[in-house]
Amino acid sequence: MTFDWMKIPYALLTLFIVFNFGLLLTAFIAKIGARAGRRHGIPIWQNYIDLIKNYGQRSSITHGVMFYLGPVFRLTGGVGLLLFVPTIYGSEMFSNLSFAGDLILALYFVFFGTLGMALGAGESGHPHAAIGITRGLAQVTAAELPLALAVFAVALQYQTLSVTEIVAAQQGGMMNWTMFTNPLAVAAAMLAFLGSMMRPPFDVVLAPQEIPIGPPTEYHSAYLALMQTNRAIFPIAKIVIYMNLFFGGATSWPEFAVKVFLIYLFSAFVGVCFPRFRVEQSIRWFLIWAVPLGVLSILWV
Amino acid sequence: MVSPLYIIAVALVAAFLLGLLKEERRGLAYSVTLVTLALMSWISANWLWLFISTDAVPVEIYTAGTAPPFAINLRMGLVEAALTLLINLTGLISGLAMKDSLLRQGRRAMAVWLVAVMALSGIVLTRDMFNMFVFFELAVIATAGLVLISEHIRNDGLTLAAGFKYMITSQFISTFLLIGIIFAYHATGTLNIDGMANTSLVLLNGGSIAFFLMFIAIIAELKPFPANGWALDIYESADPAFSALFSAATGAAALYAADKLLLIGGAEWLPIATGIGIVTFVAANLLALPQTHDRRLLGYSSIAQTGLILVVLGQRDILGEHTLFIAGGLLLSHAVAKAGLFWLSGLVAGRELNAWAALRSHPLLVFAFVTFICMLTGLPPFPGFYAKWELIHLLAGEGRIALLGLILFSALIEAGYLFRWFGYVMKRESPAEPVDTAPHKTAAVLVAVIAAWGLSFLWGELAGALFGRGNILLALPLLFALSFLLLDPLPAWLKNTLAIAGMVAWFYLTYTEYDPLRMIFAAIFLIGGALTLLASYHAHGKRIGFYPSAMLMYAGLAMLIRATSTFDFFVAWELLTVGSYFLILRGKHSEPHALSYILFSLGGAFMILAGFALAAQGAPHFSLASLQELAQPLAPWVFLLLAIGFMTKTAAIGLHIWLPGAHAEAETDVSPMVSGILLKAGLYGLIMLLLTMGRQNFYGVDLVNAMLWIGAITALIGNLLAIFQEDAKRLLAYSSIGQMGYAMFGLALMNHLGWLMALMFVINHYVYKSMLFLAVGGVAKRTGTREMYRMGGLITLMPLSFIATLIGIIAVSGVPPLSGFGGRWIFYNAILTSEARLPMIILFLAGPIAFLYLFRLIYTIFLGQLKDEFRRVKEAPFWIILPQMIYVAILLVVAVVPGLVLRHVDAYLDQFFPNGGLSWDGMIITSDFGYWNPIAIMIIVGVIFMTLFSWLLFVNRRAQKVKQFNIVFSAERPFRPETTHFAWNFFAPYRKALGFLTLPLVTLFWSTMTDFLHTAGDLTRRFYTGNGQTYAYHLLGFVIIVYLFGMGIQP
Amino acid sequence: MMTSLAHWAMAAGFVLILIGFYGALTNRNLLRMIVAFCIADTGVNIVLVAVGHMRGRTAPILDSAVPVADAVSRIIDPVPQALVLTAIVIGLGVTAMMLAYALKLYEKKRTLDIAKFTELKW
Repeated sequence: MTFDWMKIPYALLTLFIVFNFGLLLTAFIAKIGARAGRRHGIPIWQNYIDLIKNYGQRSSITHGVMFYLGPVFRLTGGVGLLLFVPTIYGSEMFSNLSFAGDLILALYFVFFGTLGMALGAGESGHPHAAIGITRGLAQVTAAELPLALAVFAVALQYQTLSVTEIVAAQQGGMMNWTMFTNPLAVAAAMLAFLGSMMRPPFDVVLAPQEIPIGPPTEYHSAYLALMQTNRAIFPIAKIVIYMNLFFGGATSWPEFAVKVFLIYLFSAFVGVCFPRFRVEQSIRWFLIWAVPLGVLSILWV
Repeated sequence: MVSPLYIIAVALVAAFLLGLLKEERRGLAYSVTLVTLALMSWISANWLWLFISTDAVPVEIYTAGTAPPFAINLRMGLVEAALTLLINLTGLISGLAMKDSLLRQGRRAMAVWLVAVMALSGIVLTRDMFNMFVFFELAVIATAGLVLISEHIRNDGLTLAAGFKYMITSQFISTFLLIGIIFAYHATGTLNIDGMANTSLVLLNGGSIAFFLMFIAIIAELKPFPANGWALDIYESADPAFSALFSAATGAAALYAADKLLLIGGAEWLPIATGIGIVTFVAANLLALPQTHDRRLLGYSSIAQTGLILVVLGQRDILGEHTLFIAGGLLLSHAVAKAGLFWLSGLVAGRELNAWAALRSHPLLVFAFVTFICMLTGLPPFPGFYAKWELIHLLAGEGRIALLGLILFSALIEAGYLFRWFGYVMKRESPAEPVDTAPHKTAAVLVAVIAAWGLSFLWGELAGALFGRGNILLALPLLFALSFLLLDPLPAWLKNTLAIAGMVAWFYLTYTEYDPLRMIFAAIFLIGGALTLLASYHAHGKRIGFYPSAMLMYAGLAMLIRATSTFDFFVAWELLTVGSYFLILRGKHSEPHALSYILFSLGGAFMILAGFALAAQGAPHFSLASLQELAQPLAPWVFLLLAIGFMTKTAAIGLHIWLPGAHAEAETDVSPMVSGILLKAGLYGLIMLLLTMGRQNFYGVDLVNAMLWIGAITALIGNLLAIFQEDAKRLLAYSSIGQMGYAMFGLALMNHLGWLMALMFVINHYVYKSMLFLAVGGVAKRTGTREMYRMGGLITLMPLSFIATLIGIIAVSGVPPLSGFGGRWIFYNAILTSEARLPMIILFLAGPIAFLYLFRLIYTIFLGQLKDEFRRVKEAPFWIILPQMIYVAILLVVAVVPGLVLRHVDAYLDQFFPNGGLSWDGMIITSDFGYWNPIAIMIIVGVIFMTLFSWLLFVNRRAQKVKQFNIVFSAERPFRPETTHFAWNFFAPYRKALGFLTLPLVTLFWSTMTDFLHTAGDLTRRFYTGNGQTYAYHLLGFVIIVYLFGMGIQP
Repeated sequence: MMTSLAHWAMAAGFVLILIGFYGALTNRNLLRMIVAFCIADTGVNIVLVAVGHMRGRTAPILDSAVPVADAVSRIIDPVPQALVLTAIVIGLGVTAMMLAYALKLYEKKRTLDIAKFTELKW
């Protein structure tokens, strides 16, 4: 087997683009959210400032090996997820490292970072970290289910697990998008999307305002910087999967930017409109509203 | 040859001579008694040897020099020789065991003892009806006399009352017998049994009533339900050595008498005998359930066994020439085991079942107890096993399914109370009174043990001669396992080395025989087993009983994969079941769990037996491969029975409740054996079944489809229950249930990739579950608890255990890049071609739940807050860590090159499922739908991880290690780890949302079932009021009912 | 057909057996039960003899009155009579044994009521 070494700089290029796009986009979305709440919001470059500040912090502590490795796992998960999926359809340059595996790899690799993060935060010994993780894990089991069903429906529909082939099947006009050929699956997936974006009504896991809870509590300085980097990359990587599976993929960077923004906006839009669920409520909500859609979509195919 | 008459004559003369001796010469009198009994035994033995070694025909002995009907004749044939030997030997050994009391009671008791034994031999030998009556009466009087004489020793009056009840009953019996005899004589003009049979007594005028009276009298001597209250009282109160004779010898003689009667009665009376037998078998076992008195329990069991043998006699129309083999196997098993148990009960001081825990300090006696119980339950290699196998097969072949079902059901109840008792012996508190180890008493028990194993060998040879089956006792793996019984005094490390060497050597000897499918299992069972045994080096001392049990299980496993016929398969299945039961029982608190394990397993085994028997349709040989030739309407039934049988081992939902306790309470190094290795036996069975039988349609239900659903639901419920466990090993056990559900689902998909996934699960589950159980076991060993919330923060103290656990949970959860992901990837590809979409959805739900319990496992043990009492905890012992590290290495290798194993299996599966295989093109694995490159994944993830890690090391190089409580905790410093470690009720929100799915409905169902049986037994037994008169009513009622049935059947 | 003596005897025997059984089942006193069994035993013996009886024949004793040559046609069947003898002996043994039991039981509990000896049950 020969390896095309040019893939590495190309992949790094993708990473660079997405990283910057992610930093800007999350800030932009945050600003939109703030405006919806009649607040001024952060400047668009706020994420860069935070990042530089955190990398620059001199004080740093560690609770042990897993604590140290947690953010590394987290970011590896985000970067890996991005690189295992082709970003731009039809472009050899931005097909990244998708030769390593198909859709299933991407879906399971999502958990890589989650697991590492959970372990790292766990070693800090902070009970709030553990509470946040249990909530997050509990919620994710229910939230991921509609997505898994939708993905499966899509795989059945196109008879393939290769992301590239799924995108290829949706080319030739909007009406070929999965959104229109299999609306039930897309509906289920988009509801699942809400659950994974850490926004209301499903953000009790992070509970950003009330108490310092969740994994980030104990992390600071460079650790936090790594996690922030991830927070720029990971949602985009995830949205790329959605875009590829349901919305026809992207054939160019502008198309990419628009689609990612709109999908991201969907979660922000819902987030500013609805109050927060408790964990058991969100589990029930997913099982009652989203899962049946996914089941129907599978039976529909 | 010495005439058999001397058996009777010698006893009579000796009894007479004893009367001449002076009362003081008790020692001499005792010697005379023993010598006489030995002489009687020797005569029988002589004859037996003659009949075995040559083809001699039975010999008739005409007592008055003339042929019947003018004189009484005796007959000595093979059966008579065997039975009289049994009776005389029991008499001799019981006499030995009763030494103390016989010496105290003096020569009269000895004379009566001789007469009793003689009378029983007479019942067997005589061919004359009236003579039989006389011998029966002699036996009654002798029995009553012995009870009366021995009374002053016990002096509690209980024995007396029992004896009087016996006399009341025998008065009724003898009246019936005499009247029957005289009318039979009137009708046929002869008293000779063969003469009556030849003149077809039952066809003559009034003959059937005459026969009925004789028949019912003899049957009543068999203590049939419900006319048996008197017998139970005797069993409960008499000297155990006497009870041994009463159970083994009297039972044998009466059974043979019934057999002779059936010769007269002819075919019409066989169903009646069967009916009485089966009712007795079921009822007596049911009534034995609530017993707590050991001897009464043994009494119930004796009655039950007699009933079973009566069934066999009643089924002689279809058993034909095999009746002797079957009835003999059952009778000898019963006699030897029951006599042995009664003698054993003479060693134990207390009468409660719990009191037998005193045996525990004597391994040899425990071994004797185990031998007897296994013999009674009909486990291989004992004669009862061969007999049961043939009986069930012949019944199934003739379509007598209801009888077959009742026999197996009742046998299960019997196994239930016997193994419960064994649990008491091993686990209950030892009573203060020690075991009486007088040499003559122990010797009696040991003779029974030797007889048990000798008979096993003999029956194995007989089965070889009659049916061409291999002698189980000659199977090399079993011999190897049994040899550890002799090696038990050696130190544990030496035995461990031998065990490992033996397993590896066996693998080396046989590895060429396996196809790739079997190779996987062989590797897991033998090499995997040897690997797990490495952990056993940590044990010190001798570890008595561990190696015979473990090797018995491995012997069963080794024989299972080599089995080609249903017989060999079933033998192996039973062996591995029993071996694993003994292993599981070794855990500290595992008594109830081991019991439920053996009950579910035996229930499953009986299902398998019934399935095999149905499939064979009476054919003496049935190879596993011929299962595929079965057609409707039989095939689905066979499939159903076998599938349920195998699913008890894989703990499918509904049959799973034994698993958590059994796996969690087992010893540290046993848990991986019974979880990682033993569970695969069930999967192997399912694979074998599906390969041969494929899809089956059962009244419109596709059974494979049903299995798909069961697999999915099992996966969901297993995973769901796992997340709510506080006990780490229980968590792993429930996780096994879930994993087995996945594997079953894969198999039931019935496509190429489904099977590949199942096999991958087989391998992966072995590796990571063994590893996790060892890791958790090591932690539990060091911390002294299995409750996860009591632990915490152990990562720095037990780093290697942590690494094993970490690798383990990544592999279980299926996160790339470790080997679990391969399983998931194949799973998705497999279901893409399947039509079964709804059960798949359940499986989708089950998948992520695994993350919950896995995270809980690693977090609450190794992360979070370290407790004060564990600050000095050390890493787990080296020998427990070593196999874990090997497993880590295996997991990493399999993760990178899964093709190492899988591509061979993949290619092998092509012959069964030609479509949908994977293609192994270099490093890339491609299916019809997707692709996967394990090495690339590993490299990419590794490079990204290392790059980021280096970056973090660079920017964060001065990070300081801080103390435990240096955290931001609500603006305060937490002051106790216990209040800061978030671990108990970890997934409370999840319980709120989905807890309703974990209601213990299955447990409730099974406990209601057992309670119901118990209560039924407890209520029914109250009808034995203890009043001798009531017992007489029972007898009369029994006679009337049998009369109505019997005469109703007659033409 | 005229009812012969043997038939009457047989009927009487059965009546005795039934009386005996009735007595044994309804009397709670040990001694009364034993007596009842004796009555039943007697009944059995009578039935035995009655079955063996043949009208107009003599006792099966071979002496000058019954020459060996025509014994077969003149004597009744000797076997039932032999049986009765044995049965009587056995009956005696059993009765003696039961009486011994009754004595011992009475010594133990100072009662002869069968319903009082129910410690062993269930």
